[in-house]
Order: sequence, then structure tokens, then C-alpha cells
Amino acid sequence: MTRILRRLAWNAFAWAIVLVVAFPLVWMVITSVKPQFELFRIPPTFWPGEVTFEHYWTLLERTPFLTYMRNSLVVATVTTVLVVAVATLAAHSLVRFRYPGRERLAQLVLFTYLLPSVVLILPLYLMLVWIGVANTLFSLVIAYTTFSLPYAIWLLRSFMQGIPHDLESAALVDGATRMGAFVDVILPQALPGIISTSLFTFILAWNEYLFALVLVNTDTARPLTTGVMNMLVSSFNIEWSLLMAASVMMSIPLIVIFAFLQRYLTRGFGAGGVKG
Amino acid sequence: MAQVRFDKVRKAFGAAVAVEGLDLVIEDGAFVSLLGPSGCGKTTTLRMLAGLEFPTSGTIAIGDRIVNDVAPGKRDIAMVFQSYALYPHMSVGENIAYPLKKHGVAKAEREEKVAQVARTLQLEHLLARKPRQLSGGQQQRVALGRALVRDPQVFLLDEPLSNLDAKLRAHMRAELIELHRRVGRTFVYVTHDQLEAMTMSDKIAVMRDGVLQQYAPPKEVYDRPANMFVAGFIGTPPMNFLSGEMTGEPGRAAFRCAGTDLPVSLAGGASPERKVALGVRPEDVSLGSGPFTGTVRLVEPTGHETIVVVESPAGSLVTRAGADVALAIGERVPFDLEAERLHLFCAASEARLLASFTRSGAPAQA
Ligand SMILES: Nc1ncnc2c1ncn2[C@@H]1O[C@H](COP(=O)(O)OP(=O)(O)OP(=O)(O)O)[C@@H](O)[C@H]1O
Ligand SMILES: [Mg+2]
Repeated sequence: MTRILRRLAWNAFAWAIVLVVAFPLVWMVITSVKPQFELFRIPPTFWPGEVTFEHYWTLLERTPFLTYMRNSLVVATVTTVLVVAVATLAAHSLVRFRYPGRERLAQLVLFTYLLPSVVLILPLYLMLVWIGVANTLFSLVIAYTTFSLPYAIWLLRSFMQGIPHDLESAALVDGATRMGAFVDVILPQALPGIISTSLFTFILAWNEYLFALVLVNTDTARPLTTGVMNMLVSSFNIEWSLLMAASVMMSIPLIVIFAFLQRYLTRGFGAGGVKG
Repeated sequence: MAQVRFDKVRKAFGAAVAVEGLDLVIEDGAFVSLLGPSGCGKTTTLRMLAGLEFPTSGTIAIGDRIVNDVAPGKRDIAMVFQSYALYPHMSVGENIAYPLKKHGVAKAEREEKVAQVARTLQLEHLLARKPRQLSGGQQQRVALGRALVRDPQVFLLDEPLSNLDAKLRAHMRAELIELHRRVGRTFVYVTHDQLEAMTMSDKIAVMRDGVLQQYAPPKEVYDRPANMFVAGFIGTPPMNFLSGEMTGEPGRAAFRCAGTDLPVSLAGGASPERKVALGVRPEDVSLGSGPFTGTVRLVEPTGHETIVVVESPAGSLVTRAGADVALAIGERVPFDLEAERLHLFCAASEARLLASFTRSGAPAQA
């Protein structure tokens, strides 16, 4: 009897936490479909008296929202592909090959991650201006790569340390080239790690604000984060309805990706330690 | 022809030397075991032959080609790893087919070969499974199948039986011998199990701390061990060593041990003063009569024989006696040594001395 009660209590507790965490998200969705006049009613209503999608239409048709969306998608995707490609090879090299300074290199990689981004942002900006790519999507890709690559290398390195050395040796003896063994044996084994890393990098690039704010100031190259803020939040007014609608749409790509890859993600985070 | 030749091969990992001055010729079609305790450099030697480690110096040849700079996949070898190293994401069938695929064999032929190997190793019903769904013995057979499928010049096997239980191990030993006979290729077999080495090999290479100690057929390694290490490493229970010294002048030398002299003639006229060690295999001690006496310390009946430990003034001796020997602990027992089968080693260098004992037991003086 007490066991059941305790289970019930735990469940109630867990759901309470879920509610607290989810409430802002729910509020965001609800606000985005309320008519403007209903937002500031006192007392506030929970369920919208009337559901409207006008804010979504406004965003899509009368603002550069879609351009921002495209920019964000391009920047996040290119960054992810670049970071994962480089990090996978780098991690493999750090795990597999013996060369002088290998451990020191790995530590240095982590060290760059320890610096606050504010410290790096101005030198980076100056360098980007100097090579003439400031104010482009490409500059964002470079910036995001510089700060997600170190972490990606570390994450993948710990994954690859779990792959038995003999597997690659076996492939080499069986007639594969180094690259062939990497593709046939290492990549499939590291897949959960690669997926986790991709997801992590994509989210980082998708949500980044500070670098985007400093590095880009034209609408054609603005990603969603700074674009939406710039467009809807001014000193005098915040367009709450539009902001909420934009937030909902910004979250959708991440939710879709998570839904597809969650299986790998949980498996991936477990796979680092025990081989199975 | 695929003779394997190591020429002054040395391998160091930083300051640690794994293999030192290795000269070894493995004849075409031979089954050769690399035998030695853990860490003696067996795997390193095999991995150098496979091309997975570069020798620090020296050359390695397969057939009449020096392979130092040849990639592993181009050496025409196959290897079974101690860990089996089956590709976890591929099915058993895909695992076995992998070497063929990498050597550009067409799909139809691949399937045919895989089916053939699977039949030989009784893996047909497992082809669709993943390695983790197999028992240890089955995984071992898949690893073997992956090596067999391509008919390479040299097979390298790194302790392939060490993860199996005793019964399956005995069975697989027989299978491997049969397999070697059938394919007639050169086999290099790494093991730290002397029984495997003794039963399977044409020749055994005994290694210690990266140095080759002796390279000879099993019977010779057992009957004429090159030094005290080999003598002590091979045989269970291991050989007894009695320390003593040589007396008498050259030509009429004797080994003096516990007040008893064993007349011995030394080749090469060794100095009589020399400190030496006498090696006696447990089966070369006969209890019940003889010029020596000792006290029984331990009696261990194993069923088909009894291991008796006798404490003598020269040291403690492990002996093999018949199953029905009746001895009590503490009892004094006379014993004799089989003169023709004794071994003499230099105590300082541990090397075998060329010596023959003329007669057992005759006490030189009272
Ligand atoms: N990659 C490496 N880096 C440094 N030292 C190594 C490396 N591989 C082997 N060694 C060292 O070389 C020596 C020989 O190792 P090896 O693996 O050849 O031994 P082994 O005879 O196969 O032993 P076991 O029976 O335990 O498998 C050991 O002392 C080992 O510590
Ligand atoms: Mg080994």
C-alpha cells in the first residue's frame, strides 16, 4: 500500500516538474494564437477566447522572417557538416595515431573552449573584416565553427576511445585502405557519437545570438535570433504576438530533428562507457 | 612459396623494447607457434608481420619480398585477433565476405565462397546474425572463417583459443590442426599455452622479454631446452633445478649435490669449479630406491598419477609417481635420477651445457 502511495507521490512530483518546465512553452504557443487585444486583458485568460493564425501570416508575408529562417538553416547546416567532418577526422587522429604533442594538442583544444566568447569575438571580427567576409553568412559559419569544433572534437574523441583498436587493424589486414577502414568500420561504430555531436552543433549554431549580433548587420545575412529581435523588439515596443509566433516557428526545426534522432541520442550518450 | 623471415628485427615503444634482435625463419607451409609469458612480445611480433606495427629496425620478408613498406592489405595474409575483432555492425555473412569485397571479388563469387566457408565451419545457420548474438566459440569460428575465406599465403593467429572453455579449446585445437593440414599454408600461431604449442606446432619459438630463446620442434624444446627459462617454462609440473657445483678435473668431472657425486662428461672441457644447476623433470625421478634420500612433503593424487614433493638436502623436488603409490607425509624415501635425461645448465648464464651423465647414482665415495 505504502509502495503504491510512494510511487504515486513520485509520479506526481515528476509531473509537477514537467509542468513547470513546459509551462513557458505552452504559454508561448497559446499566446501566439491569441488575438492581440486578448493579450493584455486583466485577469489574463488561459485558453484563448478565439484562435487566430493572423500573427503567423503577418510574419510570413510582411516581414523578412523567411529570409532569416533560410539564413539560420544554411548557417546551422553548413556549420554542422563542416564541424562534424573535421572533428571526426581530428578525433580519430587523436585517438589512433602516435605523434609528438598529441596529448598537449588535445588539452589545447579544450583550453580554447574555456575562454569566454566575449574575449574572442572582437579579434575574430577584425580578422573576418580583414579577410573580407564580414557581414556574410560565411563569416557566421567560420565563427560558429571556431567555438563548436573544440567541444565536438572532445565529444567524438571520447566516443572513439571506446572503439577497439583491433577492429581497424582487422579491416586493414582484410585489405581496406586507411580511409576504407575508417569509413567501413570506424564511422559506423562512431555513428551515435557523430549524431549526438551533429545535434549539439546544430543547436548551438541555431540558437547563437552574440556572434550574430556583432558580426552581421544586414537583413540578407541575419539569422533568426538577431533577425527576430531586431524586427520585433525595439526600445518603445515589443510585438508580443509576433514574437511568440516567431518563437514557435523557430522551435519547430529543432523539435522535428529531435523527434527523429532522439533514439540515437539517448543510445549515443550511453555508448561512451560500455561497449555493446 | 611463402617462407617468413625476420632479420635482426627490433621494436621499441619509446624506451620500452618489445622485441630485440629477432632472427627467425618460418618455412613454407609450417605451423609455428610463438610461445612465451605475457608481455614477452608475441603479439608485437605478429603485428609487425601483419604490417600493423613498423619494426624500429631490421627487415621482415614474406616469400622473397621484403614487406617492411608493404601495407597490411597487400601482404596476402589473414589474421585472427585475440579479441576476434568481428565488425559489430555487420552480420556474420558480411563479416566473412568483407576481405573478399576489399579484394574486388564479384558478388556472386563472394556469396559462393562465404557459403562454402560457412559449411566447413558449421556457421550456415548463423550467417544472418550479428556477432554480439553469438557465443564465444561461434565468434571464434566466424573470425576463423573471415581469415579462411580468401586463401592467403600466411595465416596469423593471436591466441585464438584463449577465450574458450577447456573442452571447446581441445576440440578447436584438433580442428585447427586438421585445417592446417588441409589448406597447407604457413601458420604463425601466438599462444602462452605450452600445451597448445606442443600439440599443434611443427616448430616452437620460445620468447622471453622480447628475445627469442629457442626455435625448434616441440620434442627438441622439451628434451633439449636451450636454457633454464625454456626448461622451466615448458612441462607441467615444471622442471626441478638443483644447484650444486662441478668437482674433479676436466675429463673426470662430477656434479656434486647433497654430498653425492654424479659423474658427468662435459663437451668443450668446461671448468670444474663452475657453479651449475641440474635440471630434473618430475618424471625422471624414481622413488623407492637409489642413492639419494629425502623427506616426503606433499602427496597430490590426480587420478592417473600422484605428484609427490620430496625435500632433499639439495633442494625440493617435484616428482611424478604412479597412481597407487603409498607414501605418507614426513616419511623418508630413497630416490634415484634418470641419468640419461638430466640437464645441466650454467648457473650464471642459465645456458644449457653440453653434458652427458655417465651413470646414475653410483656414489663416488661414501
Ligand atoms: N602500443 C604499445 N605501446 C607501448 N608499449 C607497448 C605497446 N604494445 C606493446 N607494448 C609493450 O611491449 C611488450 C610486448 O607486448 P606484446 O603485446 O607483444 O606482449 P604479448 O607477448 O603479446 O603478451 P600477452 O600474452 O599478454 O598478449 C609489453 O611490455 C607491452 O607493454
Ligand atoms: Mg598478446
